[in-house]
Amino acid sequence: MFSRIGAVALALALAIPGTSLAAKVKIGFINTITGAEAPIGENLTNGVTLALEDLKKTGVDVELIKEDDTGKPEKALSAFEKLATRDNVAGVVGPYTSACANAVASQADRYKVPQLIPAAAKEEITRKGHQFVFRLNAPADVYSSVLMDVIMSLDKPKTIAYVYANTDFGISTVKTAQEYAKKLGIREVANEKYQKGAPDFRSTLTKIKTLNPDLVFMVSYEVDAITLMRQSREIGLTPKAFLGAGAGFTTAQFLAQKKISNLVFSSTQWTEDVNWPGARNFYNRYKAKFGKEPSYHAACAYEAMMIMAETAVKNHGDREKTRAGLKSGHWNGIMGEVKFADYAGYTNQNNHQMLVQQVQNGLYETVYPAKFATKKPIYPFKW
Amino acid sequence: MILFLQSLISGILIGGVYALIGIGLTIIFGVMRVINFAHGDIMMVGMYMTYFLFTLFGIDPFVSVLITIPMMFIFGGIMQKLFINRILGSLPQNQILLTIGLGLIMSNSAMLAFTSDYKILTTSYSSSSYRLAGLSISKPLAISFLITVAITAILYWFLMRTDTGQAIRATAQDREAAQLMGINVKRMSVLAFGIGSAMAGTAGALISPTYYIFPQVGSAFTLKAFVITVLGGMGSIVGATLGGVIIGVVESMGAAYISSDWKDVVVFTIFLLVLLIKPSGLMGTSRT
Repeated sequence: MFSRIGAVALALALAIPGTSLAAKVKIGFINTITGAEAPIGENLTNGVTLALEDLKKTGVDVELIKEDDTGKPEKALSAFEKLATRDNVAGVVGPYTSACANAVASQADRYKVPQLIPAAAKEEITRKGHQFVFRLNAPADVYSSVLMDVIMSLDKPKTIAYVYANTDFGISTVKTAQEYAKKLGIREVANEKYQKGAPDFRSTLTKIKTLNPDLVFMVSYEVDAITLMRQSREIGLTPKAFLGAGAGFTTAQFLAQKKISNLVFSSTQWTEDVNWPGARNFYNRYKAKFGKEPSYHAACAYEAMMIMAETAVKNHGDREKTRAGLKSGHWNGIMGEVKFADYAGYTNQNNHQMLVQQVQNGLYETVYPAKFATKKPIYPFKW
Repeated sequence: MILFLQSLISGILIGGVYALIGIGLTIIFGVMRVINFAHGDIMMVGMYMTYFLFTLFGIDPFVSVLITIPMMFIFGGIMQKLFINRILGSLPQNQILLTIGLGLIMSNSAMLAFTSDYKILTTSYSSSSYRLAGLSISKPLAISFLITVAITAILYWFLMRTDTGQAIRATAQDREAAQLMGINVKRMSVLAFGIGSAMAGTAGALISPTYYIFPQVGSAFTLKAFVITVLGGMGSIVGATLGGVIIGVVESMGAAYISSDWKDVVVFTIFLLVLLIKPSGLMGTSRT
């Protein structure tokens, strides 16, 4: 008896979509939940959890379907195909890493499912003209340019040395840095790639010390940043500024190393003390709920989910209308102003203002651009 | 000139720690003819031990070596009795599989227990150095080098001068003859594996203040230990010491004068050259 009523209800619900209470709009979320990138993935998961809470409060109720890509592009792709064909989601937020986001982006147009990338930096992702692919965060070239901008606002540096991990992120970031430095007339004196996880950088750093560059630009994951700065201090390498492009230079672990992290500049997508609406409140709530400090990835994921869910619900889960809604929409939340535009070869790219933070007295302080700054940058560097 | 001297000093100092890892591996090989592919993972256990002694009890890493050495000796001894002993006479590939398996169990257990998060040990001297005529000598590396020298000297004295040491050497030279002379070769094997593990654990402890700790840290060092041991001559302690310092200096010089990206290429080129000219390694005697 019940099954017959159930069947009738189901048939009705299927026949008249949007009228049944059961037909919540579905949003897919692809993230790295296990694997090597999982610690950062956790930030994205938590950001999305907070976003869903806030959406419910404002009456936007969506059904979230989470998928784990383990950091592998092929897994991300099959997760996306499942979300697009079996779960019939209105849109997808994620994946986190550049490699995975890029793989999914290549298929988003084929399935005509809007994809909103929260934090992947690889430039190509939004450079191929995909109509259904949107990106909230700033791409890789901004990581390096914004760092040099802050120095140019203080001084006219003449020379620069690059020290970076021999990875996709390291190489591509330094490539954009080199182009930008050339434009600014800063001469390159050293270019040192290293193997991730090496225990000894002393001779490399000594070599750089003998060349006496004004700026030392580093790109490192996780703990290599700490090893590099410890050994720089040992050797006595003292440029006018240490510039760290995101990643290892923006972690709580790095901050905790007070002796070596002080006065280091790093670029980031978000800080808690920036005056974007709700940024501080997000930080406090995140810390209270999860007992940790959020990284910029958490803020990116939060805002991406807010935007995707609101737009999808407004358009009753229709994919094409959701795409159009994302394209024409305008938001102002914890990531500042968001608008997906076509510029400088990018399609549906939010021209996000990256921030520069500097460690001052054991805290990350936003120092650039001036209108978002909480403290003045301290320059030149000293141990 | 500064660059040359600085690279030389850094290379020798880091080479000391490498030597310690190599000595452990070479003793185990010498006595049992087993290549211990779990060597790096044993080192990882030593690193975690040092980390927890420091964070929970506030014992300085260089002092906690006094606790780490006996603990790791017992750990290695038990491992030998339970596992390695059973495969002493079997095919080399079986021995390799066993030690690789033990290594995997250790690193994955560590991951279950401590998660894959990086642990960083911060001491007051983690980034300090002594200045000497324009050169800087890393404080933690200098101390660990001195400890390495002391341990190597004691070990050498033990093997050369004591009865037990001579018994270990006799077992390494000819297991059957040693047994016929009344030496308890089973006990010597336990001792050798214990000493080898203690050396690896100590190397882990000494590198902790300047490096970082995670469950998979061992694999890179297993490879390094293997290169050092083969370069120096399998089973030779002097060879392993020499091999460690050579690898340390070559890495350092390679990074300074070629590129940090190419330093491993330089290391392996030298490694191949030595093996071409002297297949048994620098101090090795060919055995048939």
